[in-house]
Amino acid sequence: MNLRALARIAALACALAGAAALAHEVPASLPMTLEARNGRLRAHLDLSPAFPPDLARQVGNGLTNVIAVHLALVSQASDEVSALYSREIDILYDVWDEAYRVTVKDVDADRPRSQTLTFQNYRSLRSYLSELRQTDLGPLSALGTGSWIVQTRVEVNPISKELLERTREFIANPASGSRVSGSSRSVLGVMASYLLRGSDSGAEVHRFRSAPFTVREVTVR
Amino acid sequence: MRFLSHAALLVALVVGAAARAEDLPATAETAPEPVPTPSELTPPLVRPYLIERIVITGGRRTRESEIRHRLLVKEGDVLDEEKVLLSRLRLGQLGWFSRVETHVERGSTRGRVVLFFTLTERNTLVISDLAFGSTGPQPIYAGFGLTEQNFLGLGMAVSGTFVYGGSPVDRPADPARFAFRASFYDPELPVLKEIPPLVLGLTFLGLRGEEITCNTSDCAELDGHFGGAPRLRYSRVGGEVTLGVRGPFERFMAGYRGEWLRAESMTGSVPSGPAPYLRDGNSFLSALTATYDRDTRNDIFFPTEGSRVTGQLVFSSRALGSDYDYSRYLLQVERAFPIGADALRIQTALGAVQGDAPFFDRFYPADFSYFTVGPALGRALELNFSPDSRYDALLAMAGAEYGIPLWSSGSFFHRGYLALGARWLWSAARAGVGRTHASKIPVSGDVALRFDTPVGMFNASVGYFLDDFL
Repeated sequence: MNLRALARIAALACALAGAAALAHEVPASLPMTLEARNGRLRAHLDLSPAFPPDLARQVGNGLTNVIAVHLALVSQASDEVSALYSREIDILYDVWDEAYRVTVKDVDADRPRSQTLTFQNYRSLRSYLSELRQTDLGPLSALGTGSWIVQTRVEVNPISKELLERTREFIANPASGSRVSGSSRSVLGVMASYLLRGSDSGAEVHRFRSAPFTVREVTVR
Repeated sequence: MRFLSHAALLVALVVGAAARAEDLPATAETAPEPVPTPSELTPPLVRPYLIERIVITGGRRTRESEIRHRLLVKEGDVLDEEKVLLSRLRLGQLGWFSRVETHVERGSTRGRVVLFFTLTERNTLVISDLAFGSTGPQPIYAGFGLTEQNFLGLGMAVSGTFVYGGSPVDRPADPARFAFRASFYDPELPVLKEIPPLVLGLTFLGLRGEEITCNTSDCAELDGHFGGAPRLRYSRVGGEVTLGVRGPFERFMAGYRGEWLRAESMTGSVPSGPAPYLRDGNSFLSALTATYDRDTRNDIFFPTEGSRVTGQLVFSSRALGSDYDYSRYLLQVERAFPIGADALRIQTALGAVQGDAPFFDRFYPADFSYFTVGPALGRALELNFSPDSRYDALLAMAGAEYGIPLWSSGSFFHRGYLALGARWLWSAARAGVGRTHASKIPVSGDVALRFDTPVGMFNASVGYFLDDFL
């Protein structure tokens, strides 16, 4: 192998590595305030940036829509999770009653809760969805002297693993004939299967990551 | 740290589903918009609505009947949201639509609704093959393939692939080397109402090629002047028809393959070595084929779990009117394992050929490795442009590939991942003669960038570059 060939291979390898480095997605941050009440850490978040612009159309489609929010308090030094919080919101717009029926299920460090709500218009629903208040992230003393971050994951109409299992059979059986070998290879070659990428299932996942904070930045009330 | 697994949180949600309506959150103190007051809180009221009509919009190319018979709901049913969701996902998995949305509107009377499926059709014409390369005997060659996955909106796939090399180097008067393959595939061929639809596949192949037959695999005695190499010039024209059944995740297909073959041995300026096997003059290949394919991978582009098992059998006999008595067996198994957000894929292949199979139905080792250290080079649509014409009857391959997802929300380059692979390959011309040294080392590796686009899935591979130069 000559030097020119080596140089070409090295250039391609560098290009691949560069593309890999550039491609890493950095989570954004959400507007958030922290406070301590009765010795417990509480977070208030504005989830608006996580919602798609056409949320009104989506939640008004007359079928059940699901929004799931997951929070984790994570040690910046060790990546250990100190507290978890989850909320699942089921929204059904009744086309005959013209009202939004909402079921909310919360799980935080202490207790599971569930509630049902009815909203007569989208404005009040949107306001409710955007505000995540008094989220319990465990005892303040657990913060110690370390630095922490809050990771947030917002899913709009997530598809459950069970449902995916049930629909995987439709992904299988690609539209090709019996001949599965004999494909070509090339430096910019198409892989040996036909394009069968699933369509947009409508599910959206947004990840957010707060700026690091310590116990001294938490307002005690 | 990787973010908390969704599964773990779902478990938490299920645990927390016990209702405690008295634990309502406090009214927001600084809410910019009004929030519900307790007077607004009422139990959910979900009425069972009847589907009065189903309206499908946006399917301009796809025939409505092809969509309707794939729905799990029908007019007159009680609205079942799970079935609506499954229908939507099912339509999405066909590969014909980039988006499938559903909504309901009021029907003619209270209690009735109209269910809408709104489709956004996607490009179904994709590049299914793309190849170019250069070898000593063929300074440049290229190939291109297209597949239409929803032919005439009928849900059938039609594909065509063409590879062209031109006349061999130093022999401008020789016929050009080329290959083409056209395929038709109907995944749901209705036969009788009482039985599930069958799977029909048709393939046509035309090929004119040459195999260089020097005494050594690299034709070193010609010092790069391949125009003087002895060769086997041959052509193939034929096709295969297959019929099968499919179930969830799997399909079984059986078929018949027939090919008219013509071969001619050409002398060169150096003595000829052993030539790959093909009967001189005209001959006919007649064979029965069987394929079993089970594919439970969760994603074709970047599988993180599931497996694919493919078994192929070719049986050719004089009893079928063939000039070749042989059988060919190939088993390929691939399994994916998630490692965080990454994925590990284990790949294996086992193959054997018994009898006097024509060379193209034996195994060409370079087709199964990332690269070879030596003159062999992976074929393009079964055309061999390298000087190495050694084909084997036994094959074993084991490999692993580690995939690291890089992005998943691009516009044209929709998804991409970095693949790091290694393969071990062993092949032999027949039992008891030891490994064929198609590559000086039995191990090969690759670093590749793979990306998924609206026009196909592409693979930029360092291994391929290496193959050209090693």
